Amino acid sequence: MSARGLWQAAGAEWVKLWSVRSTWWCLAGALALTVLTSVTLAVDAATGALRDGTPGVRISAAEPVVSATSFVQFALVALAMLAITSEYASGGIRTTLAATPARGVVLAAKALVVGPVMLATGVLTGALTVAAVYAVLSLDVFGGFVVLPAGQVALDLLRTGVFYALVAVMTLGVGAATRSAAGTLTVVFLLLMGLPLMILMTGSQVLADLSLRMPTFAGLAFMGSARNITGGPMPYSPGEGLVWLLVWAAVAVAVGHAVLRRRDA
Amino acid sequence: MISLNALSKRYGDRLAVDDLTLDLKPGRVTGFLGPNGAGKSTTMRMVLGLDHPTSGTALVGGRPYRRLRDPLRAVGALLDARAAHPGRSGHAHLTALARSNGIPRRRVDEVLETVGLAGAPARKRAGTLSLGMSQRLGIAAALLGDPGVLMFDEPVNGLDPDGVRWVRGLMRALAGEGRTVFVSSHLMSEMQLTADHLVVIGRGRLIADAPLADVLAGSSLTGVLVRTPHAGDLAERLRADGMSVSRPGENELEVTGAPVERVGDLAHEAGIRLHELRAKEASLEQAYQELTAGSVEYGAGR
Repeated sequence: MSARGLWQAAGAEWVKLWSVRSTWWCLAGALALTVLTSVTLAVDAATGALRDGTPGVRISAAEPVVSATSFVQFALVALAMLAITSEYASGGIRTTLAATPARGVVLAAKALVVGPVMLATGVLTGALTVAAVYAVLSLDVFGGFVVLPAGQVALDLLRTGVFYALVAVMTLGVGAATRSAAGTLTVVFLLLMGLPLMILMTGSQVLADLSLRMPTFAGLAFMGSARNITGGPMPYSPGEGLVWLLVWAAVAVAVGHAVLRRRDA
Repeated sequence: MISLNALSKRYGDRLAVDDLTLDLKPGRVTGFLGPNGAGKSTTMRMVLGLDHPTSGTALVGGRPYRRLRDPLRAVGALLDARAAHPGRSGHAHLTALARSNGIPRRRVDEVLETVGLAGAPARKRAGTLSLGMSQRLGIAAALLGDPGVLMFDEPVNGLDPDGVRWVRGLMRALAGEGRTVFVSSHLMSEMQLTADHLVVIGRGRLIADAPLADVLAGSSLTGVLVRTPHAGDLAERLRADGMSVSRPGENELEVTGAPVERVGDLAHEAGIRLHELRAKEASLEQAYQELTAGSVEYGAGR
């Protein structure tokens, strides 16, 4: 894989990403969803704290942004998915592969463009949302619990971006493997939501530990969420969360690459 | 130049391309003919490295397509006119392609100009273009890298008569510049006007690889018509010279197996008066039908 070839292919992917409306719709959707979900979660937390009257409660303005990732990720999954499955739907994949015959370079170029765009999206939508959350919770009726610890907020936003980037790269891998929007959505939804929730309902501890290492919860752990979905503590550190995210992304890309290489376009 | 060497492609138990060996030479238009399902598109996809051959090789300038650096500068191809993302403008589609192969941005405007899509049509979303305009966009993409080899799969589909004539002129001009031009088509009359050389396949097998003139001359319908009051005598004389002669009318003969000059000379030597002497050339359509009669994949009512 030549660096020049990869750079050129990434340039092409960059042009392709920004020249379709669906990209803008997905980004707008992600922003709207982040603001709405985060503000709702923040208001809920603040009214809960007011009702309980526990002294010394503090709500970081970035905390609801992290919680919102479980929902917002689907808008960004759609964006990453379309970056590859739209080419299979239109037949444009043949044009792409004729221009860049090395299959690995095509997939890497897509990841190289979609990943950083997701990172930036996470950070920017997060920053806007933090401002919105802070403004809303600063209203007198919400008791003034909100705080804005700059360093922690910055770290949270960065991690949010990294989480989105890795979920997007995983989605690209699934897209290359399934070659269709329907297949990709099904597989990715199962990985992010369906399977972990189903497994948690079985009540088995071994399976529950496994489900907590699937991408959505690994992401929450990585982003510093203290509690898992069952209300219990996260059984592992943020660093391990990142490792699990990387594993999921790497496995999906490896499978996608194998399919892309072996099958006829 | 493109070289296919024992190229084969199997789908399940069906051989789509069967042991195809041929060289496509520069400086001429090679027409690629065959019934639906004969393996034309599969062959082109294998040349482009999109489909993996089951066995054999397809080389471009002596190298597999996948080994080419910036392949669009070596081979331009139009496979499917509708392959552009329907929501992306033609201009953006070409810009992305240019970026992927390090082709200067100005080439995008140049090829759009060449195919007549410059300006407003290039800014329209590809999904809103007519089939004819999509073909032009696909041809623009093929020309983008100024390649020495061009492959077009059914380039005149959906084009109006002006467009068809334009494509014909373009193919001839590209070959005239010394490029290798490989065109598949169903339109025999169009091929007869465009191609110098023909490759005919049926059921994946090579049926003919010959100059257009030879294919036409080889048809049983190509021959010499003679009208003479001494048809019997002349027929005898011509048969003695190894020609095959039929006698559709009292004073008429149809001769195959010799050029018109030879028939005239023999008649003169024999002192036989002629009232009419003319060459009759089969159309490519007729020659093609004879060639592929045994290999129609999806023949209707045969």
